[in-house]
Amino acid sequence: MIHCDEVTKTFYKNGSEVLSLDRFTAEIRSGEFITVRGPSGSGKTTLLLTLGGMQRPSSGKVHFNKHDLYALSPKERASLRSAQIGFVFQMFYLVPYLDLLGNVLIAAPDKPDKMLRQRAVDLLEQFGLSQRMAHRPDELSAGERQRLAVARALLNRPKILLADEPTGNLDPDNASGVIEHFVKFHQSGGTVVLVTHGTSADTFANRIMRLDQGRLIEG
Amino acid sequence: MQLWIQIICEIGFRKLNALFSLLGLTLAVITVVASQLIAVSDERETRRVTRDMGFNLRLIPAETDLGQFYRDGFSRYAMDVSTLDRLATQLTNNVSFNHLVGSLRRGYTVNDQGVLLVGLSKTYVAPGQGKKPMGFVIKTNTIHIGSEIARSQKKNKGDTMQVGMKRFIIANDPIETGTSDDITIFARLGDVQSILGLNGKINEIEAIDCLCLTADEDPLTILRREISGILPDVQVVHKQKLADARAKQRQTREKVNAVVLPSVLLAGAVWVALLAVFNVRDRRQEIGILRALGKSGWRIAGLFLGKAFLLGFVAAVIGVVLGMWAVMEFGPSLFPVTKKAIQINPSLAFQMIIATPLFAAFSSFIPAMLAVSHDPAETLRDD
Repeated sequence: MIHCDEVTKTFYKNGSEVLSLDRFTAEIRSGEFITVRGPSGSGKTTLLLTLGGMQRPSSGKVHFNKHDLYALSPKERASLRSAQIGFVFQMFYLVPYLDLLGNVLIAAPDKPDKMLRQRAVDLLEQFGLSQRMAHRPDELSAGERQRLAVARALLNRPKILLADEPTGNLDPDNASGVIEHFVKFHQSGGTVVLVTHGTSADTFANRIMRLDQGRLIEG
Repeated sequence: MQLWIQIICEIGFRKLNALFSLLGLTLAVITVVASQLIAVSDERETRRVTRDMGFNLRLIPAETDLGQFYRDGFSRYAMDVSTLDRLATQLTNNVSFNHLVGSLRRGYTVNDQGVLLVGLSKTYVAPGQGKKPMGFVIKTNTIHIGSEIARSQKKNKGDTMQVGMKRFIIANDPIETGTSDDITIFARLGDVQSILGLNGKINEIEAIDCLCLTADEDPLTILRREISGILPDVQVVHKQKLADARAKQRQTREKVNAVVLPSVLLAGAVWVALLAVFNVRDRRQEIGILRALGKSGWRIAGLFLGKAFLLGFVAAVIGVVLGMWAVMEFGPSLFPVTKKAIQINPSLAFQMIIATPLFAAFSSFIPAMLAVSHDPAETLRDD
């Protein structure tokens, strides 16, 4: 599904060069559940953003379903993200002024049809949020916010979920609830790349990748 | 999710930002509407004030002794009335004078009282520059008399008075002016020519300079050069203080218009742009996640431009209503003489409602581009 070939990413931070990904080469196959582990600053988030077409690598290639991801135009890449990739972040990144239904539908094209609206409602029900559909994110607990973020990521029936420490801000109960949704998505045929510090997802993972200083040292 | 719904929800959420934008735009609209509505009155008031100041150019026969002219108030020499016609034909060209009135002035005795008898021609005005004559219109068989003549001869408006061989009706309410007008009888040029036996003659042409000369040009030099090119046989006497007062009055109004409106528009634009920049900063995470969800740059720019457009529209409606109300309420007390010129202007309202949203969107253009060009990965990685 995704093939990374010698992907390197460097940044300039406070005047000095930081190597975030160092000749990363890996294959992510369709239907895999991969956890990505590594210490802070090892390049996990950079990897996730690069896989999702959000961050052009300094060198190397990323192929998504055999298309050179960064050879696509920004519009094509945006369209691919919208249709095939779901993002979930540790900080949720919900839109504070929209209600829960609006936050799920924000992932939809400009004019969501009836079916997509119904799917958003169904997702909220599935994630135990249907009673609070008219609430705003700031009225939810951390666990509920993350469930909402996952519901949003699933609206367009993506092929792959890229999750960046989605349980980092959650208590163990809520964390396992969120992981459960990733597992369900995986069981339904989806691909999951989950960046995490915890080990709770390892039981479900087909593969564990370990990063250190931007280099893939295992997996 | 539709763009407009998202914009309206965001406005409702960040009320203060929207309120300040709305306030700035509304104030700008009120200022523009008010200034445009009172501009007509202001211009008429200025025109009236300058008109009431009177003529500031006097063209007299070349051989006139200026000592005698200033002492008596008229030239003892005369010139042909065709002189006036020749000058009047030049008004179609780009000359520095306008409002020409030919006159014949002489000392005269009416009922043993020495008076100044003045015959006035019609006023010649450059095409498209004013409909009303500078002086007053004297109807057939009427005269206008000074207050001192009225007092000593016990005459009032509507009475008749014998001047030479002809009897006239007094058409004015004689009011004391403190000038030689108080001992002057104004009549039609033809009547005075006939009374004085000087048919076809005048001894003065009055005019005003066009006031478009700048401070670094000497108006008298230019006027004399222009007039001597047309009428070599006249002297040009310039009432300098009057001319300066007229120029100052006109220039003050022009300066206000030239400074106030652009300043208000610039301040409004900067205000809206700054608030939009703050809005973009507040919404960095939202921009980042919208990018991650595959929203295009235009969609993200649309959030900011659309918001500005919507606020501009609301501000235009409020500003037009408030601006027009304020002018109709307070304008007449500011311009008591020309208050009739203060009127609701639907065309201006329409223009403002079209232009303000575009102006607001234009002001937010740079912040919107900042939002589009912002690297979403930076936000999503750092936060």
